Amino acid sequence: MKQVIVNPEKCVGCMQCMLACAAAHATSESLFAAVHETPKPRPRVHVGAGLFNQGFPNRCRHCDPAPCQLACLAGAIFRDAAAHTVFINPDRCINCASCAMACPYGVLRFHEEAAAPPGKTVAVKCDNCDARVARGQIPACAEVCKTGALVYDEMTHAMNEKTRQVARTMSSDAAAQGLPDTVALYNTLKQATMKAGAAIRR
Amino acid sequence: MKHLIIGNGIAGINAARAIREMDTSAAIFMVSDETFPPYSRPMISYVLEGSEPHEKLPLFAGNIYEDLDITPVLGHRVAHLDVKKKFVHLENGTDIDFQKLLIASGADARHIRVPGAELGNIFTMRTQKDVLDHLAAISLGIKNALVLGGGLVGFKAAHALLKRGIKVTMLITSAYPLAMQVDPTAGRMILKELQARGLSVKVGVSVSSFDGETRVKKACLDSGETLDCDLVIVGKGVDPSLGFIAENDIEIDYGILVDPYLCSSVSDIYAAGDAAESMDIARQKRWINAIWPEAAIQGRIAGYNMAGRKVACPGSLGRNVMRIFGLDVMTVGLANPDGADDLEIIQAGGEKAGVYRSLVFCRDILVGAVLVNQIEQGGILRAMIENRIPVRIPKAYLMSLHFDYSKLL
Ligand SMILES: Cc1cc2nc3c(=O)[nH]c(=O)nc-3n(C[C@H](O)[C@H](O)[C@H](O)COP(=O)(O)OP(=O)(O)OC[C@H]3O[C@@H](n4cnc5c(N)ncnc54)[C@H](O)[C@@H]3O)c2cc1C
Ligand code: SF4
Ligand code: SF4
Repeated sequence: MKQVIVNPEKCVGCMQCMLACAAAHATSESLFAAVHETPKPRPRVHVGAGLFNQGFPNRCRHCDPAPCQLACLAGAIFRDAAAHTVFINPDRCINCASCAMACPYGVLRFHEEAAAPPGKTVAVKCDNCDARVARGQIPACAEVCKTGALVYDEMTHAMNEKTRQVARTMSSDAAAQGLPDTVALYNTLKQATMKAGAAIRR
Repeated sequence: MKHLIIGNGIAGINAARAIREMDTSAAIFMVSDETFPPYSRPMISYVLEGSEPHEKLPLFAGNIYEDLDITPVLGHRVAHLDVKKKFVHLENGTDIDFQKLLIASGADARHIRVPGAELGNIFTMRTQKDVLDHLAAISLGIKNALVLGGGLVGFKAAHALLKRGIKVTMLITSAYPLAMQVDPTAGRMILKELQARGLSVKVGVSVSSFDGETRVKKACLDSGETLDCDLVIVGKGVDPSLGFIAENDIEIDYGILVDPYLCSSVSDIYAAGDAAESMDIARQKRWINAIWPEAAIQGRIAGYNMAGRKVACPGSLGRNVMRIFGLDVMTVGLANPDGADDLEIIQAGGEKAGVYRSLVFCRDILVGAVLVNQIEQGGILRAMIENRIPVRIPKAYLMSLHFDYSKLL
């Protein structure tokens, strides 16, 4: 099962993925037509600037278990295990933002959306481009990324585990998976932020 | 193995799902007095305001009892629990025995006990039935609504009625609504927003009696004042539904005291959700955090433990997010600490800026946060509070409106 793998160290912050994502989720699925659409298509991947202004493409990790799913007040969030994707049903979403409070990565946004009932503000996040993948295409962000920061590939077991562990350290359900060594991960995170903090003060 | 679950709320349902995930052959009995299919309790306020229809309340498309092979026993309340002989006695006279029990009975709305409280159109707001009653009353025409209490439910009731264009008066004890959830700055912003939509607030007064013939017409206040009202929603808090437990049978403080595995003081008897009192991560003491995500997670963890898979719950954390007309408010953990000796509070923005941030630190550990507007990244702060990760980056970074996950890497 191929997935989008994020290699943050390779991101140059060009934001091409954001444009490609917005276009891929437009009704027209074209960047040129998308700008004229209502609601205006918006990206579901967000390139943020790190402490050293380095780029970081932030997208939904499709966590398992997904904290947003457990927190959803309306039962709108569900997992398609085969596609390794956490989806939001826009018809059930009540725009309560409980998922935004649960997501440890801050990837949820709230706005009108081509796939949602007209005029309704809903929670929106990455859907792993399920429509494109069903047609044999690859996710738009990985297709457009030229530096290898976003690649569509088989997740090796080790990478899968890494992603999942980081996700779980940040999730309230961490313990529910009987995660053995969250402490080591806290420490890694802690050290990383410590180093970053020291660099800033210098 | 025979499991019995009291309550078909999200805690009970998630426990059943977890048990089924672990054990395909165990018997699962579920007792609840609510016969309506398992539904989203928080969504009843959306039904009251009219943004979602009542039909959308059920959480599952099919029959969840059949899908999970649960034996439902609905429409009856548990009257008595025998912890020694391991069975429950229902109000209708039947007994159900168990090997493992989950008490996920949630909480009941507190009623008001003053003369006239039995008049028509005086309601609580806890169940889907309650909101149907509200809607029936509203369909006959309501001019002045009165909401008692400025907690989460009182606020939700007032907000929903205002959205319907009904004039609302709210009686509260603090200077602003949601005083338990937010700090004074956010509280004032919320109050202003609600007042701009037609809310009037009376502080420090309470109802001494209601007047009317069959339906309520007036509320008499302890200040001597009288208020015209044709609909009253009582939001005076909730109490865990534990009336079926005899004194000293199970250790109870306010809710059932549970260990990290959500087991009560009696082995094989577990508790989760609004009925359970666990360790509060931000306060570092026992607390009931009666919120949906806690009930969902606790139910799941309790279910795993009942099915024999040892899983510890890291504790509970109070948190809430509310959209209040033009304001989005998120509050997590110790949002408004009193007597903050060893706590450091950093604030930015405010009413004028239209955006507000308040972070509460205990040394280098984030223990509380209030965000007004631009709340999308709030989950990162919630995760930091929950995991008690020492904050080593400059605290000002966390305050920035441009703060996002990349700043932590
Ligand atoms: C109007 C409203 C708005 C809310 N909004 C939010 C929100 O925005 N965000 C949030 O996080 N939380 C919110 N909550 C809180 C949230 O709904 C609860 O925390 C959650 O539903 C608790 O789930 P539970 O499974 O523990 O209990 P419950 O949902 O209360 O379920 C318990 C069930 O057990 C039944 N029962 C009780 N005693 C017995 C007995 N003796 N015998 C048989 N059955 C019994 C009850 O009838 C009930 O059906 C809101 C609550 C209300 C009322
Ligand atoms: S918690 Fe956040 S990252 Fe994880 S599945 Fe949900 S939205 Fe995606
Ligand atoms: S905003 Fe929508 S998806 Fe998010 S928790 Fe609320 S109902 Fe669920």
